[in-house]
Amino acid sequence: MSRRIAGTILGLLALICVAGLPATAQSFRVQCPTSTITHPDPGNKGVNNLEPAYTGPTYTGQSTSYTTGNTGPVNGAIKCQQISGGDGYSTMADGTQTFMFSFGPLSGLADMAAGLPGTQFPNVFNTVAPVTLQPGDPATTDAPVNTVLPHVPNLGSFSWNGAVGLEPDPNLADDPACSSATPPSYCTVGSANYALDGHVDPRQIMDIGVMNGNIPAPLMAIDEDDEYFLTLSNVGMIMRPDLFEQHTVHFHGYPNASSFYDGVPDASIAINIGGSFTYYYLAPDAGTYFWHCHITPPEHLQMGMVGQIYVRPRQNRIPSSLTLYQGLSAQQADLRTACKSANDILCSNPLPHGGDNGTAGGFVASNATATTPTDPQTKKFAYNDGDGSTYYDVEYPLQIHGFDPNFHFVGMTFNPEAFVDMKDKYFLLNGRSYPDTVATGPLNTETADGRTHFSQPLPAIINIPAGGKALLRISDLDVTEYQTLASLGIPMHVVGYNAKLLRDQAGYNTDYYTNSITLAGGESLDVILDTSNTGIYQTGQVFYLYTPQLDHLSNDAENFGGLMTEVHICNSVDPKTKACS
Amino acid sequence: MRQVNLKNNIPMTWLLPVAMLALVLLLPMRAHAAAPGITGPTFNLTAQTAQLNEPDGSSVYAWGYGCNGAPSGYSPAAITNTFCNSMQVPGPTLIVTEGQTVTVNLLNGLPTSAGNTSILFPGFQVAAQGGVTGLLTQEAAPGGTVSYSFTATSPGTRSYYSGTQGDLQVEMGLFGAIIVLPANVPAACSAGLPLANPGANKTARSTWGETDFRLSPSAYDHDKTCYDREYLFQFSEMDANIHNQAYAQVNDPARIAACQVGATAPGCSLQVPTEPYHPSYFMINGRSMPDDMDPNYGLEYPHQPYNGDPHMHPGEMVLLRVIGQGRWQHPFHEHANHVRILARDGNLILSQGDPESLAGRLEFTTTTTPGQAFDGIFYFTGRGLNWDMYAHNPSSKDPNAVLSCTPDANGYNTGAPAAINYFEWCQDHNKPLQVAPFGDVAAGGPITLPDPDIFTNGNWYSGSPYLGTDATTRATGPNSTFLPSNSQANPGNERGWAFMWHSHNEREITTNNLFPGGMFMMMLVDSREFVIDEQN
Repeated sequence: MSRRIAGTILGLLALICVAGLPATAQSFRVQCPTSTITHPDPGNKGVNNLEPAYTGPTYTGQSTSYTTGNTGPVNGAIKCQQISGGDGYSTMADGTQTFMFSFGPLSGLADMAAGLPGTQFPNVFNTVAPVTLQPGDPATTDAPVNTVLPHVPNLGSFSWNGAVGLEPDPNLADDPACSSATPPSYCTVGSANYALDGHVDPRQIMDIGVMNGNIPAPLMAIDEDDEYFLTLSNVGMIMRPDLFEQHTVHFHGYPNASSFYDGVPDASIAINIGGSFTYYYLAPDAGTYFWHCHITPPEHLQMGMVGQIYVRPRQNRIPSSLTLYQGLSAQQADLRTACKSANDILCSNPLPHGGDNGTAGGFVASNATATTPTDPQTKKFAYNDGDGSTYYDVEYPLQIHGFDPNFHFVGMTFNPEAFVDMKDKYFLLNGRSYPDTVATGPLNTETADGRTHFSQPLPAIINIPAGGKALLRISDLDVTEYQTLASLGIPMHVVGYNAKLLRDQAGYNTDYYTNSITLAGGESLDVILDTSNTGIYQTGQVFYLYTPQLDHLSNDAENFGGLMTEVHICNSVDPKTKACS
Repeated sequence: MRQVNLKNNIPMTWLLPVAMLALVLLLPMRAHAAAPGITGPTFNLTAQTAQLNEPDGSSVYAWGYGCNGAPSGYSPAAITNTFCNSMQVPGPTLIVTEGQTVTVNLLNGLPTSAGNTSILFPGFQVAAQGGVTGLLTQEAAPGGTVSYSFTATSPGTRSYYSGTQGDLQVEMGLFGAIIVLPANVPAACSAGLPLANPGANKTARSTWGETDFRLSPSAYDHDKTCYDREYLFQFSEMDANIHNQAYAQVNDPARIAACQVGATAPGCSLQVPTEPYHPSYFMINGRSMPDDMDPNYGLEYPHQPYNGDPHMHPGEMVLLRVIGQGRWQHPFHEHANHVRILARDGNLILSQGDPESLAGRLEFTTTTTPGQAFDGIFYFTGRGLNWDMYAHNPSSKDPNAVLSCTPDANGYNTGAPAAINYFEWCQDHNKPLQVAPFGDVAAGGPITLPDPDIFTNGNWYSGSPYLGTDATTRATGPNSTFLPSNSQANPGNERGWAFMWHSHNEREITTNNLFPGGMFMMMLVDSREFVIDEQN
């Protein structure tokens, strides 16, 4: 920790002592129901803890209401996630420790540290931490100096992915039903005879959430037909006690978004420090979206409050007994999932003009008793294409961003920031510049609380199994300029744009090949790197994704690095860990 | 109007009341947008100077095209209190019909030392008469004239701008839009939307006494381009240093002496460096937020008559005509839904395999590029939210809470054009959002809202998650005439859903270093009973 930061901390501690902390921490709570109208589980059998196969739509015909139209099988599941809104530090590729306004994970800590989405099924989310969590968990390097026990010594034994802070509600212990001889199952959590109803221990949320900022913000991934409950707990910005900032989540690009859950503070509500707000959406159409805070966007986005979210298509859940075309045809029977060009100018995936090419689905149902979400979607697609044209073997969320070190420095002080002369000097892929982009595992940063935190959990290295296809879900949240990413070696096959399949309204695909893509902040697209020509692309080869904007190949004063990463051709790639072998 | 960056200077306890008061003052009238302009086919324009108002309180010296005498007419006819001053930014929107022969007579009314000026009309075969020979076209010398004529060969939205010393003159404000309306409106569009229930949108409009502000029922001679409502947005930016230097040079006595009226000698132009470029004003239709949400033809903006304040009802097809002016690209992010790109620079994008089908991309962020225009269709219905956005409650005694929803072929309630839930998405009808709501709203949904004591209300927040006066009043209780934020940005008789439409180069939603400002406006989806009045 630099002397400058230490001085700032001393000053801030003095301020905090004078000001006192607001006594509203009990307003934290999480929400993750196990049963809803859309995903009923009256017998509490855990049916929403896995994705069922998609064999037909839930609503058929012109349903007149949600009760009478619900005639088909229930599709999708329930997914939950908790994030903190606050501040933190990250490490730039030249070693500079950089202050951020940022989101951090408050659920799925183990998954997040492994570079996976922190999104969980209810049976994973609704679990109590097996140990008392310490600041910095699950990062490991502060363990030697941490004498408070019990402590999780390292990530190797840290596999818990539940909601931070969740604990049995003491008030529900008084529920007469729970004290009966045979309490209903909702009262039972392990050996405890209480329900987990969203009540949290705020200390745990503060211990983990404060100074726990990530860049990019926690990764989210849901499936079409899922109900998604995202709880944002505002833990405050410990380095900026002068700011009583709210934070929000804007799900960027969600079609037919609601104003209330759109995250624009002017148009809705924004959660204050010490409170939690749960965002609710039925998963929108499949695609590569992204999310960010919408409070004072030029400031909060530049300062790092940007993340990734993608929605996997229904087509991933089509069993091998159906062709993709039949699956897409089945979706036409539900007006919500249908895409009929004659009726809807904003539908993007009508049935392919070429008809049924016989490509079959490949879904194998997950094991309902698994404690962590498995990855049963053996055939993966970016969109409901009906023809298999967006098939991939392994996917990589890749977010472009930029940091202006001057702005971040001023942002750590109490001085007003200037917007006109904002100029990015760090050009980031998943919060990292080259060569950090190709480092495996999470990057650590020691923050102003003296602890080490996982600050940049998501590598940006692209490992492709020989002969396979990699889907790059590229989004850009730079707030100052357009950025270009080029592929040196493997052509970029652009199959989706702004979370929509590239297909015209007559069903002809409008995908294209290119060697570079250019995005502004607020845009996304889907690129497939296809190595199926094994005569050209062979195991052990290394290719590059880099920016031809040559001044962006730098890390501030270092004339080296920047917006660049490597593409490796591997014998095989672990679909979860993305490890190359 | 003055916005100040209070956050870093003034204690929080002062901030909220001041900000609220400021917003109440800033938004004294309801003002919606349309795509107003002047009609021809002969247009007498002049290029002149004036000061532009900026929301930081400054006044920027600028050049712009304006009317040289009264125009032939204004469109849409439903907008009155129009004016066309001798200088405005953007220049007058020229509205013509496909096939017309358009004549634009330009008088150069710029200071003599500013030199020649001209107009380019990209996309048309222009014949220029008179004036003096310039690099790209015939130019009007100071005090002189030039005449351009061309046939409006195809429909669509296009830009026009200066073809003389463009790096300076376009920066100074010499740009505008030309809209060519289709000559052959398809029958489907004449019958009216929605296609599933032709004419029902028109019936709904007349039921509530709402006026039609369209320029035409369709954007092109193609039945996939019908629309209910339209807005024109022109994006530009200004570097005040350039404007200040131009002002200094045109008032330089030596330059004035060297360039008398009628002089055509080379050298009668300004030498203002236009690089390095540091724009600090980012504008939509010549105004920065919040001024862009003030009325069209507002008297406080004599040289910035056009606003940016889109409103729409659920299900309405909204035509967006968007032009990049200036010199930078801007990623324009439309919250709430995607935009189907219909055309670029007046060229309809159709499927290679089927000329009846559209092939333009769907985009949630539409890049504006200098000199380039696009037309797109946007709509909002709330389909797939999985909760009833009207907060219907079958067990209520309130007749509005128990309205029915009868789906058409697409699942929307379009058979009841007089109902306030016209175009409701019926699959979610009666489906509750909240577990145990306050008020006359159905319970049993998936979500518990936070305690009102721990959140902050936005100026456009209606007071409930639901759409419209009826639902919000039932959800919040009867004493909800005023917004919880105490502003009237989204008043008690409106209670719309507000969505932010803005540049996603977020730095550009500031005005001269102050947030909020710049390329930023709120789009409102209004419940059917609220009358959207795009007049002024």
